[in-house]
Amino acid sequence: MNTTSMLSLMLPEIIVALTGGLIIVLDLIWPAAEDSGPDSQPWLAYTGVLGLLLAAASVLSLSGQDATLFEGIILIDPLGAFFKMLFIGIAILVLLLSVGALKTFTKWSAEFYALIVWCTLGHMLLASAGELFTIFLALQLTSLPLIVLIGYAKQDPISGEAALKYLLMVMVSTAVLLYGMSLIYGSLGTSTISEIGTKLAEMNTIGPVVALGLVLLLTGFAFKITAAPFHYWVPDVYEGAPNPVTAFLSVGSKFAGFALALRIIVTGLQVEMNWHLILGLMAALSMTLGNLGAIRQTNIKRMLAYSGIAQAGYLLVGLAALSQEGVGALLFYASAYLFANLAAFGVIIVFATATKSTSIERFSGLSKRSPLLALALAIALLSLGGLPLMAGFMAKFYVFLYAVKAGLVWLVAFGVVNSVISLYYYLRVVWIVYVAEGDPGEIRVPLGAGVAISICVAGVLVLGLYPEPMMQAAQFAASALFGGQ
Amino acid sequence: MTNVPVLSIIALTPTVAALLIALFGRSPKVPRWIALVAATVCLSSAAYVYATYDRTAGGLQFMESVPWIPSIGASYTLGVDGISVPMLMLMGLVMFTGVLVSWDVTLRPREFFVLLLLLVTGVFGVFVAVDAFLLFFLYEMAVLPMFLLIAIWGSTRKDYSAMKLTLFLFAGSALLIIAMGLIYWKVGAGTFDLRVWSDYTFSPEFQKWVFLITFVGFGALIPIWPLHTWSPDGHVAAPTAVSMMHAGVLLKLGAYGVIRFGLTLFPSAIETWGPLIAIIGVINVVYGAMCAMNQKDMKYVLGYSSVSHMGYVILGIAMANSYSLEGAVFQMFAHGIMTALFFALIGYVYESSHTRQIADISGLMRQTPLVAAGFVIAGAASMGLPSTSGFVAELLVYIGIIQESPALAAVAFVGVVITAAYLVRMLGKILLGEPSEAIAQISDARPVRVAPMIILALTIMLVGIFPASMYQTIQSGLAPLLAKLAGG
Repeated sequence: MNTTSMLSLMLPEIIVALTGGLIIVLDLIWPAAEDSGPDSQPWLAYTGVLGLLLAAASVLSLSGQDATLFEGIILIDPLGAFFKMLFIGIAILVLLLSVGALKTFTKWSAEFYALIVWCTLGHMLLASAGELFTIFLALQLTSLPLIVLIGYAKQDPISGEAALKYLLMVMVSTAVLLYGMSLIYGSLGTSTISEIGTKLAEMNTIGPVVALGLVLLLTGFAFKITAAPFHYWVPDVYEGAPNPVTAFLSVGSKFAGFALALRIIVTGLQVEMNWHLILGLMAALSMTLGNLGAIRQTNIKRMLAYSGIAQAGYLLVGLAALSQEGVGALLFYASAYLFANLAAFGVIIVFATATKSTSIERFSGLSKRSPLLALALAIALLSLGGLPLMAGFMAKFYVFLYAVKAGLVWLVAFGVVNSVISLYYYLRVVWIVYVAEGDPGEIRVPLGAGVAISICVAGVLVLGLYPEPMMQAAQFAASALFGGQ
Repeated sequence: MTNVPVLSIIALTPTVAALLIALFGRSPKVPRWIALVAATVCLSSAAYVYATYDRTAGGLQFMESVPWIPSIGASYTLGVDGISVPMLMLMGLVMFTGVLVSWDVTLRPREFFVLLLLLVTGVFGVFVAVDAFLLFFLYEMAVLPMFLLIAIWGSTRKDYSAMKLTLFLFAGSALLIIAMGLIYWKVGAGTFDLRVWSDYTFSPEFQKWVFLITFVGFGALIPIWPLHTWSPDGHVAAPTAVSMMHAGVLLKLGAYGVIRFGLTLFPSAIETWGPLIAIIGVINVVYGAMCAMNQKDMKYVLGYSSVSHMGYVILGIAMANSYSLEGAVFQMFAHGIMTALFFALIGYVYESSHTRQIADISGLMRQTPLVAAGFVIAGAASMGLPSTSGFVAELLVYIGIIQESPALAAVAFVGVVITAAYLVRMLGKILLGEPSEAIAQISDARPVRVAPMIILALTIMLVGIFPASMYQTIQSGLAPLLAKLAGG
């Protein structure tokens, strides 16, 4: 394969990288007026959206490709393509949601948009990385922009605190990850995932060193996917980060962790370890701690942080099934979660921009102040709670179905009991929004946010009523992962 | 059969109406008219199904099938048999009368009718679904509107009751997810079609345990003792139309599920669990009646009386012979109509007197003879007096029990006595005597409020005096199940 065709397979990443640069350059050419505020350049965000749409189109045009670039460093396969579509979708939605919301925490917009785009580039590289050190580099490419983004509200000490916490968390998890990588590289003499797989398959017994290496890798990802017991950083960081960044973090970063974990664990399946149990326990713990934690929260961002921990647990149930269908169900779950969570955060962003508050109490009577926002929030939360008509129901059912097939009835029992618990706090917010009396005053929804929220709600309903196409796409992506074995 | 998708019309008309109300229901009077039109369409379609269902042929009729999610083998498959036809009729009647009863809802009427109609879609859907996934989907869909209907339009500790009801129902359905997953992979045909499922013979061990899961899962809805506590609270807190639907139809979903899933798929499990279920049934009957005896709020009396009456359904299922099961299904219908009438009447009294305390009300007979007559008919049906539908149902159940165990019948009969006692006590107090202060403002209702009472009361009498067509329908519906029970 010549360089040109190799680069053409990397076209989506190239487009995204250039889009980030373009935003900065455009800002230099046509800077905002001195006192016009950060929301005077919405077209910068729209440029980003256009670039990302272009990247999405090129991902789609490359779908079905199965190639290995640069001697295994980059894998172009349906799994990567699926995740790239998710990441691009997330970035588009977050950019749209950010327009109009930046003025609450910053004066500078171009850098914000560019960092979102570049962080997405890191996510995309993670989704297609086929080699340990590429993984490491891609991880850094996501972490560094995120640290800056989390601390973007310079005047707000909580934001700085959150950034510092995130930085520490990144350092620890990266150290753990690197240690795991070095153990594996040291014992097997290769860093390409596919070769690691072959070597593991050849060995009859696996030494403790390799096993430890794999577990350390898993721990590194567990931080990223906010799985218990590596979730303690999540609530503080989610609460402190500016709202659009929390939205971005809650899905993008989590899925990036899963993209990685999938490739490594399927390789690690060669090793005789009780992966069902390890992943199952992690899932059960995440669901339980997440849901129990969420019940007590009075701040909706913190509540969604805990809810996100629980959701990571449900996603892990799909992984714990350790089957192609289970992974497919996980991918479907991820897409359902994306729409629901971003719809919820979309409403929170608009609401917080108008009222300067993210306390759950303040949402009282939202149904009178803005019926559509209230409906969107209700649909989003009920989807997260797994009620029918909404995507969350299909996703949960799908995941649980394949977990039962894998014999994980105990884990499914944990899952369904947890769904009931989670319904309590989701319904409580719905109750507050629809039943409780609250402040008067209509809430205006900016155009970009309105579009983004509408897309998310539509996504939730379409996946909830007609999930077939997305299920097929998810299973196709999952087959890429298992096809090679 | 016919080319008209009559079951889809029944199941989807309420949703379409809900959408129409959501889009165009801005003015306060439009929603109720749209809802009434939808209810009329549903009721007449249900009546059409009831009239034209071929009882001699039996089995599933009016079939419709469209692929839905081929990935997991779920399809939009509808059909009705002799068990679901009476339930459709019941729901049609309760929906129609429920809309009329809600005619004067002034608080957020648009949202009220949207939610009410969504709830109706879910319930209708459960009765016509032949695909387990679809059934489950619609079943869960019915719960959320219920939450909001109680939380917004309810009374008496409505927040607590709404949340309690919702969480109980979801806990029950959580068990069902597990059961469905287990059955799905055991059958291994990659489909949720209940016809395929019921053709498969499960191993006795599998039958035993999965039956238990489904029984508890659906049983929470019946509601079986000791999972019943959400039910009286929910009845009391709900607005009138929702109480009617809730006690009248929603509880039947649970019993319907136990028969459809539990008994039909796992016929041999009843040998193991029959005695236990019978004990639960007797506790429901007797304990529920005793609780009702102690209540001061009329709605609480009815709430516990439902627990008691649904005990007969549980007993009928536990005995699992032809009389007892026919009685169980008959009771599902009879109790539904009777309790809907009761709640319509109590709702009417409450609206004008703002009290449901038995102590505050007396002399309804003088003040409003029509409403009083309704109370008498509902009370007679509840006590199981002849010429009411309740008589036929309870008679059948008792014949079924006596066949298996006369001693059990004797114990359960205590329930009948207590039922008569609490009803006579309550009705005597509120109907006779001088009109009390609280009901001074009350008068005979407007036609729109009287109509539902008359419709329901007539149904009680009609089915009580001419039970044959209902009985034959139920008989044809149970025939395959009884054959399976005899064979297994």
